[in-house]
Amino acid sequence: MPRMNEKVSYWMLVVPALAIMVIFYIVPVLGIWKIAFTEPETGLTNFVAMAGSNAVKTSFVITFRVAAITTIGCLFLGYIVAYAISNYSSRLTPLMVALVILPFWVSVLIRSFSWIVLLGRSGIVNDALKGAGLIESPLRLMHNELGVLIAMIHVMLPFAILPMLTNMRGISGAYVLAARSLGAGEWTAFRQVYFPQTMPGVMSGALLVFVLSLGFFVTPALLGGGRVLMISEYITYQIQEFLNWGLGSALSVGLLVATALVLLIAARFVNLRAALLERK
Amino acid sequence: MQDTTDFEAKRDIADIAVERYKQGRLTRRGFIAAMGALGILPALGTKATAQAKEIIVVNWGGTAKDVLQEVICDTYTAETGIPVIVDGSGPSAGKIRAMVESGAVVWDLCDSGAGSAIILEQQGITQPIDYSIVDKSKVLEGTAYNNGVGNYVYSYVLATNPKLLGGAVPQSWEDVWNVKDFPGMRTFRKSVRGQLESATMARGVPLNEVYEALGTEDGIKAAIAKFRELRENIIVWGSGSDSQNLFLQEEVAIGNIWSTRAHLLKDQMETGSFNVSFNGGVIAPGIWVVPKGNPAGTEETMKLIAHAQKPELQVKWLEMIGSGPINPEAAALVPAELAPWNPSSPENLATQILYNDEWYAKNQIAAEELYVDALIN
Repeated sequence: MPRMNEKVSYWMLVVPALAIMVIFYIVPVLGIWKIAFTEPETGLTNFVAMAGSNAVKTSFVITFRVAAITTIGCLFLGYIVAYAISNYSSRLTPLMVALVILPFWVSVLIRSFSWIVLLGRSGIVNDALKGAGLIESPLRLMHNELGVLIAMIHVMLPFAILPMLTNMRGISGAYVLAARSLGAGEWTAFRQVYFPQTMPGVMSGALLVFVLSLGFFVTPALLGGGRVLMISEYITYQIQEFLNWGLGSALSVGLLVATALVLLIAARFVNLRAALLERK
Repeated sequence: MQDTTDFEAKRDIADIAVERYKQGRLTRRGFIAAMGALGILPALGTKATAQAKEIIVVNWGGTAKDVLQEVICDTYTAETGIPVIVDGSGPSAGKIRAMVESGAVVWDLCDSGAGSAIILEQQGITQPIDYSIVDKSKVLEGTAYNNGVGNYVYSYVLATNPKLLGGAVPQSWEDVWNVKDFPGMRTFRKSVRGQLESATMARGVPLNEVYEALGTEDGIKAAIAKFRELRENIIVWGSGSDSQNLFLQEEVAIGNIWSTRAHLLKDQMETGSFNVSFNGGVIAPGIWVVPKGNPAGTEETMKLIAHAQKPELQVKWLEMIGSGPINPEAAALVPAELAPWNPSSPENLATQILYNDEWYAKNQIAAEELYVDALIN
């Protein structure tokens, strides 16, 4: 009997969340899939149009490139921050954690607008560089992919830091000490003992940032100058400008499928299950 | 007091109701109820007519609503004693159609566009303009349709910031494409409207042959190729305020923007750092349409249109928000310092072409796709 009870309580805990997912997520997503195949006519019209469009192809390439570079940037910067917070005990640690979380209190929109103030032609960065005599004419820091990347890495950074931080805080310092006492150099101890243990954190951070970046809208729209057209903006464009729900939906199906494919490919190289779920 | 109604959202919800009604997913009763709830139609059950002897004019809200009220409507009331009220809820073609089809018309006069006016006329939604009351000679040539007549104009113009350009100011679209002599960023609209014309002129096509050149697939491709060539220097604007911001923050030195925004910029930018040329501009009219069965009656509404044609009122309109007079006679009354900013002055008219709605109806969607591709690919 206790076994039965366990099963029941398991489902009781899962059902509310599952129900919300099904009603507010799965059903609407299926609705979108239906529109993709039925408007303006039933069949694959939208997908044929999508495959034949150079703009769509480019937009997909831009989307995945921006997401990939953002992920790499976030992992690199985030790893350093997470490492510093978890390995150097200091009275500043709570402050540093607070600084990582703080940006969540400010909306993405405001943060993106702030980057406009900073990176503009007569923005703070350019004015400072000019004032210091380092440049003569303003640098083009935004309205291009560079601006989008700077702002996106900034927005996404906490999503990379937090999983890595949680992971690193669970790693016992004893392993590295043991390696050192057995004669490993600092670098070797880090590379062979510490780093492999942080992989679960790195992988979940990477996945989180990458998947969120793929669907990002506000920042590229504001800082891209219209030329860094990511898929989500393209979808908006189709639906708002042309009321083209069919193609818009087909694009979102395309994005979902492409994302799934990337995860599948990633799974071939990295044991995702082990990286994300296994606790050591 | 600032009107904080979210017209955009209302307009959108109403448009959705119209769609569903057309698809048969919403009953007529439900539809009228929905429109009533949105304040677009009077609530269900009451007879849907505006108060007798009152004219409801509908435009797109914002400052334009207040200006229209003050300049055209209040002056009409002062003259005739008939109250005229401006409603800024946005007379989209879908909404006008829904109103007429549901038999609950509350709008008398709507500020529409040429494209919508043509479609509404074909669908039999609007009334013919009575040209015995409205004077055909008091609107720009080409803006008097059977069921619609011009009310004001705005242009896509060549705006420049001479300060950023070191004093060398581009005079034509050919200059705009000359990055060597005129370095700096340019801004174009995130849509082909009013933009492909510039690219075509930059190819050296004379003004009056622009739409002819764009009439062929090769012509469109050539214009698109011009954008591809320039794209490293392009930042696009999505809304009118985007374009204004790009100039204010000195992000761009050159742009193809609306003359109404240029009208605001000339007062916001320092002297000598903003300039507008109507050379190669594309002039587009706003169009009055009158829904069938409007409550105030045909004649009263036509009289109001005729009143709005008065040159002195049209000039006032220009002074207040930069909408150019539709009445060619008004140009002479425009104060000298404003004349260069008037889209419909004889000098400026001579260097512009009239926005061709037929071309857009036929080619826009295909061209948009190519345009996006040229900018990003």
